[in-house]
Amino acid sequence: MTKKSKAKKVGFYLLLAFILLYLLFPFYWAVNSSLKTEAQLQMTPATFVPRDPVSGDISPSFQNYRVIFDNQQFVRGIWNSTVVAASTTTLALVAGSFAAFALGKLRFRGRKPALYIILAMTMFPQVTVLAGLYAVINALNLSARISMILAYMIFTLPFTTWVLTSFFKGLPSALMESAQVDGATPFQTFYRILLPLTAPAMVTTGLLAFIAAWNEYLFALTFTSIDPGARTVPVAIAYFSGAVARQEPFGEIMAAAIVVTVPIVLLVLFFQKRIVAGLTAGAVKG
Amino acid sequence: MQKKRVNLSNLAKREERLAYKLLIPSLIILLLIAIYPLGQVFYSSMTNRQFASGQETEFIGFENYRRLLSVRVQKLEPLLDENTGEIIRDPETNEVLRERPIDVLPREPFRYREYRQFSLFGNRYVLGATDPNFIQAVINTINFSVVSVFLELVLGLGVALAVHNNFKGRGLMRTSMLIPWAVITVVSARMWEWMFASNRVGLFNTVLYAVGLGDGRMDFLSSGMSQMSAMIAVDVWKTTPFMALLLLAGLQTIPDELYEAAEIDGANKLRQFFSVTLPLLKPAMAVALIFRTLDALRVFDVFQVLLGQSRYSMASYNYYQLIGNRNMGMASAIGVIIFILIFVFALSYIKALGVDSDD
Repeated sequence: MTKKSKAKKVGFYLLLAFILLYLLFPFYWAVNSSLKTEAQLQMTPATFVPRDPVSGDISPSFQNYRVIFDNQQFVRGIWNSTVVAASTTTLALVAGSFAAFALGKLRFRGRKPALYIILAMTMFPQVTVLAGLYAVINALNLSARISMILAYMIFTLPFTTWVLTSFFKGLPSALMESAQVDGATPFQTFYRILLPLTAPAMVTTGLLAFIAAWNEYLFALTFTSIDPGARTVPVAIAYFSGAVARQEPFGEIMAAAIVVTVPIVLLVLFFQKRIVAGLTAGAVKG
Repeated sequence: MQKKRVNLSNLAKREERLAYKLLIPSLIILLLIAIYPLGQVFYSSMTNRQFASGQETEFIGFENYRRLLSVRVQKLEPLLDENTGEIIRDPETNEVLRERPIDVLPREPFRYREYRQFSLFGNRYVLGATDPNFIQAVINTINFSVVSVFLELVLGLGVALAVHNNFKGRGLMRTSMLIPWAVITVVSARMWEWMFASNRVGLFNTVLYAVGLGDGRMDFLSSGMSQMSAMIAVDVWKTTPFMALLLLAGLQTIPDELYEAAEIDGANKLRQFFSVTLPLLKPAMAVALIFRTLDALRVFDVFQVLLGQSRYSMASYNYYQLIGNRNMGMASAIGVIIFILIFVFALSYIKALGVDSDD
């Protein structure tokens, strides 16, 4: 009996190890490749740690990392992505918390249809408006960065509003009433009393909005097609080419991949409880 | 202490006005970036509008849709010898020579191109389409969605069940589950591209060759079946953790008492899974499934990065028509088709869940 349960336990841990290997190995492979020089990358068969082509000793190189930080396209990409994602998050949180307060705590005619519209919008397929949005942007002559920030509202604003609305709804109405009895206007109640209480939900939705904007590729690729200077990280990595014209420099691409992924991974790991709660609450796109 | 006399209906009106004011910013943004462009897309899909061209835009009705969606099956008759009236066969392979698809398929009002040939009851047919690329893109997208969402559900359920157990290092396990999700889609596409490299500098060729499969020079990203498998592999890797998280949240809502009761009734683990876990997990599974399907139907990043113009998804074909061809009318029609497809799914979602109608 004990033997059987022991075998079961070993089997279970093997299963866990296998899952872990599956989830993490591609990432490990990228790290491994990013530490190889061009010569090491071309070794066949590929080695599981960077090895010296001649002696076979382990010899990682940071060459790729040095090169990508000299790559103007890539450095600009990080800057553009940061600006775009941060502005998107701010705008979505400001507009979203306004709307969410109205939808969650105020009584007005048309509230239910408004809720329906917001929920429907959380599932809005961005790609369908691509052509129309591109036309609007051309007509208004908006810069690529502004266009991205606005366009990203399509998927961040409805989600933010939806999650914050349910959060506002959960706050006790007595808070509002007592504030009003004390002579506060509804808007004062909102930003002095309720808004600070929503901080946890703001962090969650803000993070998810930031990650979604950091990730976005379709709009970024389309809007920066005439303005390469505004390319964000995903576009820069998709178009990555080495300083010298040659075949795709995968060592550098992998180094760039690690550089842009690690901050997000750290952010996610640090806030993991909140992120999981937010993801499962709104079942937002991953 | 004198309390202000407040007119109740006045207060309600003020509240209503404030609500509208607070909704205005969101409304303006969504109007500008979603509602108006959507209307524009519907209208443009009926025109021949081109970007950056001097040509005047004309209203052309459903012509774009006909160009995208027209398909026709045509029989390929055997070629007959002019003198004897007999069927001509290839002298070497002895195969019946038939008409060429290009001669059989109509050219008016639009030119049909061969999409694929097939045999049925001894006859040979050609399936022609006015835009074989688009038909292929629709089929690619649907195949991709069905297979990858199914695999994600199965794997995600497995992972969720495993992680739901109590064991040492569970926190670490759940944490590492978030890593693939946190990797930018484009980045994960390029990470896999390198693993898929077409000789033994790549991981897959190295490993497969080492275990005796393949010749070490398999080109995963250039031929039909393996292209689709590669797309699915990338997507499944990146999205399984998300699926697992949603299902895990569902698992956690199932009360332990139910399992205890089932245990007392003598149900074994397998039985417990099918009569307790699965039925109670259904709502969470439905949400996860529909969300993933909606998402998979608009897949763009992996197709665009890994396959470019060698194989399209609906979204990447839309992008190609818009930016590559500057054909706004055609791109809009594709947008509308995607919209309708996804709308049907989204409706089922709203119906299945219903809006929280609250107090």
